[in-house]
Amino acid sequence: MWLLITFCLLIGLAIGFQMPVLLPFIYAKYLSIAILAALDSVFGGIRGYMEDGFDTTIFVSGFIVNALLAAGLAYIGDKLGVELYLAAVIVFGVRIFQNLAIIRRYLVKKY
Amino acid sequence: MQSKSAKISIAIVSLVLGIMLAVQFKTTASNNAAQLPARVEDVAQQLNSVTQERDALAEEVVSLRGKLSNVRKNDEAMADLEDELQKTRMAAGTTAVEGPGIILTVNDIPRKTEAGQDPNDSIVHDSDLFTLVNDLKASGAEAISINDQRITAMSEIRCASTLILINTRRVGPPFVIKATGNPEMLESGMNINGGWLSIMKQWGYQISLQKAEKVQIPAYKGPIRFEYSIPAEKGEKAE
Repeated sequence: MWLLITFCLLIGLAIGFQMPVLLPFIYAKYLSIAILAALDSVFGGIRGYMEDGFDTTIFVSGFIVNALLAAGLAYIGDKLGVELYLAAVIVFGVRIFQNLAIIRRYLVKKY
Repeated sequence: MQSKSAKISIAIVSLVLGIMLAVQFKTTASNNAAQLPARVEDVAQQLNSVTQERDALAEEVVSLRGKLSNVRKNDEAMADLEDELQKTRMAAGTTAVEGPGIILTVNDIPRKTEAGQDPNDSIVHDSDLFTLVNDLKASGAEAISINDQRITAMSEIRCASTLILINTRRVGPPFVIKATGNPEMLESGMNINGGWLSIMKQWGYQISLQKAEKVQIPAYKGPIRFEYSIPAEKGEKAE
Protein backbone atom coordinates (compact mmCIF):
# COMPACT_ATOMS: atom_id res chain seq x y z
CA MET A 1 0.00 0.00 0.00
CA TRP A 2 2.59 2.53 1.08
CA LEU A 3 4.99 1.34 -1.52
CA LEU A 4 2.31 1.71 -4.17
CA ILE A 5 1.51 5.27 -3.17
CA THR A 6 5.16 6.30 -3.04
CA PHE A 7 5.84 4.54 -6.32
CA CYS A 8 2.92 6.18 -8.09
CA LEU A 9 3.84 9.55 -6.65
CA LEU A 10 7.38 9.22 -7.92
CA ILE A 11 6.16 8.12 -11.35
CA GLY A 12 3.79 11.06 -11.40
CA LEU A 13 6.62 13.42 -10.45
CA ALA A 14 8.80 11.95 -13.17
CA ILE A 15 6.05 12.35 -15.75
CA GLY A 16 5.31 15.86 -14.59
CA PHE A 17 8.94 16.91 -14.82
CA GLN A 18 9.20 15.38 -18.25
CA MET A 19 6.02 17.04 -19.45
CA PRO A 20 6.63 20.18 -21.50
CA VAL A 21 3.80 21.89 -19.67
CA LEU A 22 4.44 25.20 -17.99
CA LEU A 23 1.67 27.01 -16.23
CA PRO A 24 1.51 30.77 -16.39
CA PHE A 25 2.32 32.29 -13.04
CA ILE A 26 -1.21 33.60 -12.47
CA TYR A 27 -2.56 30.00 -12.59
CA ALA A 28 0.09 28.63 -10.24
CA LYS A 29 -2.06 29.65 -7.29
CA TYR A 30 -5.02 27.63 -8.55
CA LEU A 31 -2.83 24.60 -9.14
CA SER A 32 -1.39 24.88 -5.65
CA ILE A 33 -4.92 24.85 -4.26
CA ALA A 34 -5.74 21.84 -6.42
CA ILE A 35 -2.63 20.13 -5.09
CA LEU A 36 -3.78 20.79 -1.56
CA ALA A 37 -7.15 19.27 -2.41
CA ALA A 38 -5.45 16.26 -3.94
CA LEU A 39 -3.22 15.82 -0.89
CA ASP A 40 -6.28 16.02 1.31
CA SER A 41 -8.02 13.43 -0.84
CA VAL A 42 -5.03 11.10 -0.75
CA PHE A 43 -4.73 11.29 3.00
CA GLY A 44 -8.48 10.89 3.29
CA GLY A 45 -8.29 7.86 1.05
CA ILE A 46 -5.49 6.32 3.11
CA ARG A 47 -7.47 6.92 6.22
CA GLY A 48 -10.58 5.40 4.67
CA TYR A 49 -8.55 2.46 3.51
CA MET A 50 -7.26 1.91 7.02
CA GLU A 51 -10.74 2.26 8.45
CA ASP A 52 -12.01 -0.18 5.86
CA GLY A 53 -14.63 2.38 4.89
CA PHE A 54 -13.00 3.19 1.61
CA ASP A 55 -15.35 4.00 -1.25
CA THR A 56 -13.73 4.39 -4.63
CA THR A 57 -16.49 6.60 -6.02
CA ILE A 58 -16.43 8.92 -3.06
CA PHE A 59 -12.65 9.02 -3.12
CA VAL A 60 -12.30 9.83 -6.82
CA SER A 61 -15.25 12.21 -6.96
CA GLY A 62 -14.00 13.87 -3.77
CA PHE A 63 -10.59 14.31 -5.28
CA ILE A 64 -11.90 15.88 -8.50
CA VAL A 65 -14.66 17.99 -6.97
CA ASN A 66 -12.49 19.26 -4.12
CA ALA A 67 -9.71 20.25 -6.48
CA LEU A 68 -12.10 22.01 -8.84
CA LEU A 69 -14.00 23.68 -6.01
CA ALA A 70 -10.82 24.92 -4.40
CA ALA A 71 -9.51 26.26 -7.70
CA GLY A 72 -12.92 27.85 -8.41
CA LEU A 73 -12.95 29.43 -4.96
CA ALA A 74 -9.53 30.91 -5.55
CA TYR A 75 -10.68 32.23 -8.92
CA ILE A 76 -13.82 33.83 -7.47
CA GLY A 77 -11.77 35.27 -4.64
CA ASP A 78 -9.44 36.80 -7.18
CA LYS A 79 -12.35 38.37 -9.03
CA LEU A 80 -13.91 39.67 -5.82
CA GLY A 81 -10.65 40.95 -4.46
CA VAL A 82 -10.96 38.70 -1.40
CA GLU A 83 -8.30 36.11 -0.71
CA LEU A 84 -10.86 33.32 -0.68
CA TYR A 85 -8.29 30.65 -1.50
CA LEU A 86 -7.06 31.07 2.05
CA ALA A 87 -10.29 29.43 3.18
CA ALA A 88 -9.48 26.41 1.02
CA VAL A 89 -5.89 26.41 2.30
CA ILE A 90 -7.04 26.44 5.91
CA VAL A 91 -9.76 23.82 5.43
CA PHE A 92 -7.53 21.45 3.52
CA GLY A 93 -4.62 22.05 5.84
CA VAL A 94 -6.72 21.27 8.89
CA ARG A 95 -8.17 18.18 7.24
CA ILE A 96 -4.75 16.96 6.15
CA PHE A 97 -3.49 17.24 9.70
CA GLN A 98 -6.62 15.51 11.05
CA ASN A 99 -6.29 12.66 8.57
CA LEU A 100 -2.59 12.39 9.29
CA ALA A 101 -3.31 12.21 13.03
CA ILE A 102 -5.87 9.44 12.51
CA ILE A 103 -3.53 7.53 10.20
CA ARG A 104 -0.77 7.91 12.74
CA ARG A 105 -2.97 6.42 15.46
CA TYR A 106 -3.90 3.46 13.29
CA LEU A 107 -0.29 2.89 12.48
CA VAL A 108 0.68 3.14 16.14
CA LYS A 109 -2.11 0.68 17.07
CA LYS A 110 -1.14 -1.66 14.25
CA TYR A 111 2.52 -1.91 15.06
CA MET B 1 -11.82 -6.74 -4.62
CA GLN B 2 -12.62 -3.50 -2.94
CA SER B 3 -9.07 -3.36 -1.81
CA LYS B 4 -7.82 -3.69 -5.33
CA SER B 5 -10.02 -0.96 -6.77
CA ALA B 6 -9.11 1.21 -3.79
CA LYS B 7 -5.47 0.62 -4.48
CA ILE B 8 -5.94 1.44 -8.14
CA SER B 9 -7.82 4.63 -7.44
CA ILE B 10 -5.32 5.69 -4.80
CA ALA B 11 -2.52 4.91 -7.22
CA ILE B 12 -4.15 7.00 -9.94
CA VAL B 13 -4.80 9.89 -7.60
CA SER B 14 -1.23 9.67 -6.36
CA LEU B 15 -0.03 9.70 -9.91
CA VAL B 16 -2.11 12.77 -10.71
CA LEU B 17 -0.94 14.40 -7.50
CA GLY B 18 2.63 13.69 -8.48
CA ILE B 19 2.15 15.21 -11.91
CA MET B 20 0.49 18.29 -10.41
CA LEU B 21 3.24 18.67 -7.87
CA ALA B 22 5.91 18.37 -10.53
CA VAL B 23 4.19 20.93 -12.74
CA GLN B 24 3.81 23.26 -9.79
CA PHE B 25 7.46 22.87 -8.84
CA LYS B 26 8.49 23.56 -12.36
CA THR B 27 6.20 26.55 -12.63
CA THR B 28 7.41 28.04 -9.38
CA ALA B 29 11.03 27.40 -10.26
CA SER B 30 10.66 28.84 -13.74
CA ASN B 31 8.82 31.85 -12.39
CA ASN B 32 11.57 32.50 -9.90
CA ALA B 33 14.01 32.06 -12.72
CA ALA B 34 11.91 34.33 -14.90
CA GLN B 35 11.75 36.93 -12.19
CA LEU B 36 15.50 37.09 -11.92
CA PRO B 37 16.13 38.06 -15.54
CA ALA B 38 13.34 40.61 -15.20
CA ARG B 39 15.15 42.14 -12.31
CA VAL B 40 18.41 41.95 -14.17
CA GLU B 41 16.73 43.73 -17.03
CA ASP B 42 15.41 46.33 -14.64
CA VAL B 43 18.81 46.92 -13.15
CA ALA B 44 20.35 47.00 -16.60
CA GLN B 45 17.80 49.60 -17.63
CA GLN B 46 18.58 51.65 -14.57
CA LEU B 47 22.24 51.37 -15.35
CA ASN B 48 21.49 52.46 -18.87
CA SER B 49 19.55 55.51 -17.79
CA VAL B 50 22.12 56.45 -15.17
CA THR B 51 24.85 56.07 -17.75
CA GLN B 52 22.94 58.30 -20.13
CA GLU B 53 22.45 60.83 -17.38
CA ARG B 54 26.15 60.74 -16.63
CA ASP B 55 26.99 61.22 -20.27
CA ALA B 56 24.61 64.16 -20.47
CA LEU B 57 26.17 65.67 -17.37
CA ALA B 58 29.64 65.15 -18.80
CA GLU B 59 28.55 66.96 -21.94
CA GLU B 60 27.14 69.72 -19.79
CA VAL B 61 30.46 69.97 -17.98
CA VAL B 62 32.26 70.28 -21.30
CA SER B 63 29.89 72.96 -22.56
CA LEU B 64 30.01 74.82 -19.25
CA ARG B 65 33.79 74.73 -19.32
CA GLY B 66 33.66 76.11 -22.82
CA LYS B 67 31.35 78.85 -21.67
CA LEU B 68 33.61 79.60 -18.73
CA SER B 69 36.62 79.98 -20.97
CA ASN B 70 34.52 82.09 -23.30
CA VAL B 71 33.64 84.28 -20.38
CA ARG B 72 37.32 84.60 -19.60
CA LYS B 73 38.04 85.39 -23.19
CA ASN B 74 35.17 87.82 -23.13
CA ASP B 75 36.78 89.89 -20.45
CA GLU B 76 37.69 92.26 -23.24
CA ALA B 77 34.10 92.38 -24.32
CA MET B 78 33.17 93.05 -20.71
CA ALA B 79 35.67 95.88 -20.64
CA ASP B 80 34.12 97.23 -23.81
CA LEU B 81 30.71 97.02 -22.21
CA GLU B 82 32.01 98.79 -19.14
CA ASP B 83 33.40 101.45 -21.40
CA GLU B 84 30.07 101.78 -23.15
CA LEU B 85 28.29 102.01 -19.83
CA GLN B 86 30.68 104.72 -18.69
CA LYS B 87 30.06 106.67 -21.86
CA THR B 88 26.34 106.34 -21.43
CA ARG B 89 26.64 107.49 -17.85
CA MET B 90 28.60 110.51 -18.96
CA ALA B 91 26.00 111.30 -21.56
CA ALA B 92 23.24 110.90 -19.03
CA GLY B 93 25.10 113.11 -16.60
CA THR B 94 25.16 110.60 -13.78
CA THR B 95 28.92 110.72 -13.47
CA ALA B 96 31.16 113.68 -12.82
CA VAL B 97 33.45 114.63 -15.67
CA GLU B 98 36.46 116.83 -16.07
CA GLY B 99 38.45 118.08 -18.96
CA PRO B 100 39.36 121.18 -20.94
CA GLY B 101 36.57 123.64 -21.55
CA ILE B 102 35.33 127.05 -20.66
CA ILE B 103 33.94 128.75 -17.61
CA LEU B 104 31.33 131.36 -18.42
CA THR B 105 30.13 133.63 -15.67
CA VAL B 106 26.99 135.66 -16.21
CA ASN B 107 25.62 138.20 -13.78
CA ASP B 108 22.94 140.84 -13.66
CA ILE B 109 23.44 144.32 -15.09
CA PRO B 110 25.01 146.34 -12.25
CA ARG B 111 22.80 149.33 -12.04
CA LYS B 112 20.24 150.76 -9.74
CA THR B 113 16.76 150.61 -10.99
CA GLU B 114 15.65 154.10 -11.82
CA ALA B 115 12.17 155.39 -12.28
CA GLY B 116 10.62 154.17 -15.43
CA GLN B 117 12.95 151.20 -15.70
CA ASP B 118 11.77 147.66 -15.37
CA PRO B 119 14.01 145.73 -12.98
CA ASN B 120 13.33 142.69 -15.13
CA ASP B 121 15.43 144.28 -17.84
CA SER B 122 18.59 144.05 -15.78
CA ILE B 123 18.49 140.52 -14.40
CA VAL B 124 19.52 137.25 -15.96
CA HIS B 125 16.49 135.29 -17.03
CA ASP B 126 15.93 131.60 -17.44
CA SER B 127 15.55 132.17 -21.17
CA ASP B 128 19.03 133.74 -21.23
CA LEU B 129 20.49 130.73 -19.52
CA PHE B 130 18.92 128.12 -21.71
CA THR B 131 19.76 130.07 -24.83
CA LEU B 132 23.36 130.15 -23.66
CA VAL B 133 23.22 126.42 -22.89
CA ASN B 134 21.79 125.80 -26.30
CA ASP B 135 24.62 127.80 -27.89
CA LEU B 136 27.14 125.81 -25.87
CA LYS B 137 25.64 122.58 -27.08
CA ALA B 138 25.73 123.86 -30.61
CA SER B 139 29.40 124.72 -30.13
CA GLY B 140 30.26 121.18 -29.19
CA ALA B 141 30.04 121.15 -25.42
CA GLU B 142 30.20 117.66 -24.00
CA ALA B 143 28.99 118.38 -20.50
CA ILE B 144 27.46 121.51 -19.06
CA SER B 145 26.66 122.65 -15.59
CA ILE B 146 25.19 125.83 -14.21
CA ASN B 147 26.17 126.67 -10.64
CA ASP B 148 27.17 123.01 -10.24
CA GLN B 149 23.84 121.78 -11.47
CA ARG B 150 24.52 119.30 -14.22
CA ILE B 151 22.48 119.90 -17.32
CA THR B 152 21.10 116.56 -18.34
CA ALA B 153 18.71 115.64 -21.10
CA MET B 154 15.86 116.06 -18.63
CA SER B 155 17.08 119.18 -16.85
CA GLU B 156 14.80 122.15 -16.78
CA ILE B 157 15.84 125.76 -16.63
CA ARG B 158 12.87 127.55 -15.32
CA CYS B 159 12.03 130.86 -13.78
CA ALA B 160 10.85 130.79 -10.18
CA SER B 161 10.23 134.43 -9.23
CA THR B 162 13.59 135.86 -8.19
CA LEU B 163 15.51 132.64 -8.68
CA ILE B 164 15.92 130.02 -11.38
CA LEU B 165 15.22 126.34 -10.96
CA ILE B 166 17.62 123.89 -12.49
CA ASN B 167 17.12 120.22 -11.72
CA THR B 168 14.48 121.52 -9.28
CA ARG B 169 17.29 123.20 -7.34
CA ARG B 170 17.24 126.94 -6.92
CA VAL B 171 20.18 128.77 -8.35
CA GLY B 172 20.86 132.47 -8.30
CA PRO B 173 23.27 134.94 -9.81
CA PRO B 174 26.10 134.95 -10.52
CA PHE B 175 25.61 132.04 -12.85
CA VAL B 176 28.75 130.04 -13.45
CA ILE B 177 28.30 127.99 -16.55
CA LYS B 178 30.90 125.33 -17.03
CA ALA B 179 31.27 123.34 -20.17
CA THR B 180 33.77 120.73 -21.30
CA GLY B 181 34.76 120.50 -24.88
CA ASN B 182 37.22 122.05 -27.26
CA PRO B 183 37.90 125.39 -25.51
CA GLU B 184 38.65 127.24 -28.76
CA MET B 185 35.51 126.01 -30.41
CA LEU B 186 33.39 126.82 -27.39
CA GLU B 187 34.84 130.26 -27.01
CA SER B 188 34.45 131.20 -30.63
CA GLY B 189 31.00 129.62 -30.72
CA MET B 190 29.88 131.73 -27.80
CA ASN B 191 31.49 134.91 -28.96
CA ILE B 192 30.08 134.71 -32.44
CA ASN B 193 28.56 137.95 -33.65
CA GLY B 194 24.84 138.01 -33.16
CA GLY B 195 25.09 135.21 -30.66
CA TRP B 196 23.14 135.52 -27.46
CA LEU B 197 26.24 136.18 -25.40
CA SER B 198 27.24 139.13 -27.53
CA ILE B 199 23.71 140.52 -27.27
CA MET B 200 23.83 140.17 -23.51
CA LYS B 201 27.20 141.89 -23.48
CA GLN B 202 25.70 144.77 -25.42
CA TRP B 203 22.94 145.09 -22.89
CA GLY B 204 25.46 145.37 -20.15
CA TYR B 205 25.35 142.05 -18.36
CA GLN B 206 28.52 141.16 -16.51
CA ILE B 207 30.01 138.37 -18.52
CA SER B 208 33.34 136.67 -18.28
CA LEU B 209 34.41 133.82 -20.51
CA GLN B 210 37.54 131.89 -19.59
CA LYS B 211 39.14 128.97 -21.25
CA ALA B 212 40.32 126.41 -18.77
CA GLU B 213 42.62 123.42 -18.99
CA LYS B 214 40.60 121.57 -16.46
CA VAL B 215 36.93 122.11 -15.89
CA GLN B 216 35.20 119.95 -13.33
CA ILE B 217 31.56 119.24 -13.88
CA PRO B 218 29.66 117.39 -11.17
CA ALA B 219 27.23 114.55 -11.67
CA TYR B 220 23.50 114.93 -11.70
CA LYS B 221 22.48 114.15 -8.14
CA GLY B 222 18.76 113.79 -8.51
CA PRO B 223 16.82 110.63 -9.07
CA ILE B 224 16.30 109.22 -12.52
CA ARG B 225 12.89 107.70 -12.76
CA PHE B 226 11.09 106.13 -15.65
CA GLU B 227 7.54 105.55 -14.56
CA TYR B 228 5.88 105.60 -17.93
CA SER B 229 8.60 104.88 -20.40
CA ILE B 230 9.94 101.47 -21.23
CA PRO B 231 12.52 100.61 -23.84
CA ALA B 232 10.73 100.04 -27.13
CA GLU B 233 11.69 97.16 -29.40
CA LYS B 234 14.64 95.59 -27.70
CA GLY B 235 16.29 94.78 -30.99
CA GLU B 236 16.71 98.42 -31.95
CA LYS B 237 19.55 99.99 -30.10
CA ALA B 238 21.01 103.33 -30.87
CA GLU B 239 24.62 102.98 -31.82
